[in-house]
Amino acid sequence: MKIIKEIYAYREMVYSLVHRDLKGRYKGSVLGFAWTFLNPLLQLAVYTLVFSIIMRNGIKDYYLFLFVALVPWIFFSSCMAAGAGCIRQQGDMIKKIYFPREVIPLSFVTSQFVNMLLSLIVVFAVVVFSGKPMNPVALLYLPLIMIIEYLIALGLTMLISGITVYMRDIEYLMNIIMMAWQFGTPVMYGLDQIPERFMFLFNLNPMTPVIVAYRDILYYGQVPEMNTLITAVVFGIVTLIAGVLVFGRLKLHFAEEL
Amino acid sequence: MDAQNAIEVKNVSKSFKVYLDKGRTLKELALFSSRRKYENRQVLKNISFNVKKGEAVALVGHNGCGKSTTLKLLTKIMYPDQGTIEMQGRVSSLIELGAGFHPDMSGRENIYINASIFGLTKKEIDARVDDIIEFSELREFIDNPVRTYSSGMYMRLAFAVAINVNADILLIDEILAVGDANFQAKCFERMQELKASGITIVLVTHDGNTVKSFCNRAIWINEGEIASEGNAADVVDRYMAHMDAKRIEEINAAAASAQPSVEIEEEDVDSLSMDPDAIHFGNQKAQIVKCTLINSEGNAVNALRSDEKYYLRFEYKVNKQIDELVFGMGIFTLDGVWVFGTNSAIAGETIRVTGKRGTVIFESEPLNLMSGKYILQCSIIEPNTTPVDYYNEYMRFNVVNIHHEAGIIHYDSKWHIGEEQS
Repeated sequence: MKIIKEIYAYREMVYSLVHRDLKGRYKGSVLGFAWTFLNPLLQLAVYTLVFSIIMRNGIKDYYLFLFVALVPWIFFSSCMAAGAGCIRQQGDMIKKIYFPREVIPLSFVTSQFVNMLLSLIVVFAVVVFSGKPMNPVALLYLPLIMIIEYLIALGLTMLISGITVYMRDIEYLMNIIMMAWQFGTPVMYGLDQIPERFMFLFNLNPMTPVIVAYRDILYYGQVPEMNTLITAVVFGIVTLIAGVLVFGRLKLHFAEEL
Repeated sequence: MDAQNAIEVKNVSKSFKVYLDKGRTLKELALFSSRRKYENRQVLKNISFNVKKGEAVALVGHNGCGKSTTLKLLTKIMYPDQGTIEMQGRVSSLIELGAGFHPDMSGRENIYINASIFGLTKKEIDARVDDIIEFSELREFIDNPVRTYSSGMYMRLAFAVAINVNADILLIDEILAVGDANFQAKCFERMQELKASGITIVLVTHDGNTVKSFCNRAIWINEGEIASEGNAADVVDRYMAHMDAKRIEEINAAAASAQPSVEIEEEDVDSLSMDPDAIHFGNQKAQIVKCTLINSEGNAVNALRSDEKYYLRFEYKVNKQIDELVFGMGIFTLDGVWVFGTNSAIAGETIRVTGKRGTVIFESEPLNLMSGKYILQCSIIEPNTTPVDYYNEYMRFNVVNIHHEAGIIHYDSKWHIGEEQS
């Protein structure tokens, strides 16, 4: 409770760091902030090219099928891979200034999240453009699922970034883990394509219900199943609590270890 | 916690693991965890102190004594292994200036980022931003990116933010050396204002004068323990005296180990100096074999206290027939100012040559010089001033002045404060 109050007191720092990250990211480039939209658009163009012309598969509008899952996945995966080092990168600040350490993973994940929101605008534009019908009731569930994903990402980023301070290898390991994790999550294919005997793997994966829900809402235009939602909520709360608790222990020696 | 106290530190200990071979990788952690060697270095040993509300307290001590660690514990950057630290009020630390500055963003944007890291809300920053800009004297540049600033401007902006963060307790780690003399004076004034307004200040510094003029109280930390605590001027004097004694010891120890033997080979005239580069000239009818600086305790040294008597012991040998020698010495600053010089003839002594070798001792009252390095000149000349063996720079030596005044020489002096005469 105390930590929540303290982070609230430092809300301006979270805002500043997010603002600095988003604004600073494309500073100096000619197109500047437009890159935030251009990046997902160009990715989409590549996927469309590859999967509708070269590697055809049976799924209708595969580029869209993939894209509505890929955007939230990229958010999650960059939180894990790049976020692992977020405490270490702010080492100078941690060694010299007091602020609730939670602010750093919090602003890192938030900044990635805002990026995803901007990418989702592109997703919406593409969905509308593709002529797929939108289900307004299903769309109401979108903020919920986004918040759940945010909580999962935040919990895990706190966990991993905290451990990385003590074990630097995690940072390098994360890239390969995320690649494997992507294949263990129904991003590039649907759940129905997964052999029964591997299903348990997908059921253990907190990102499975999240990605499934995104796709239900944006691609199929239907309300996610209750089952999916409940699993996602449980995963979200559990990872966040675990992340906060472990981080709270790890942060005590950050200044010495960095 | 006592309501009068802003800070209470009770029985705090802190040690660091100093890894001899810092393995931070998974492999090392997994495989060699038992093999990884580290020393547990105890930085703070059971220290306790209180700081009253509105007090300005200095933490003094040499490098590595634990004063910065203490400050880091107070700011909660680190946590003590044992003991408790309690604080009342909002704490702000001026340990790192310009935290979070982004070079591509404007000065104004960076004010917001930097101040937010100190825990200010948007509203609070809005209320202060004009004061901060005013204080930094950067009004015309405030909307330019920070990367276009000079380092002085950068530090001014950073300091302006830090000093305008309102707090009940301010922790400061020697950062007053910011900007030009005018800006420093302004910072100092601002600190005085803060102090006058009742803010509790804890300052870590090496500068004894700042402590004396600014702080009510000082705590001297030595080897992780509180060596002395009390009135700022007294503690600083005790600390300085300790440091001086230590410095003389260190310099002499270093000199002793660095100069194995200065006794020269009789034949090898070219290498006959303490300093390998020392140049000597003269007709060489006699030679200085060795000249030793001796302190008041009779030890050969390389550093002297400015208030002790000292001696120069000349050992010489005679190469050719000569009746009378005049021995001379001189002291120069490193930039060549001749501080003092004399010779045996000036003093009215006549030194007759009787054998092949001999010794002459020069005895002197205290140097009364300021701390620093000096050059020793020593020479033998003939009574008609023809150089016999002349070293313009025989060796360099250190002087430590315990009085900490400014200038070149020390006078014993005092101040008398009286009523104005009518």
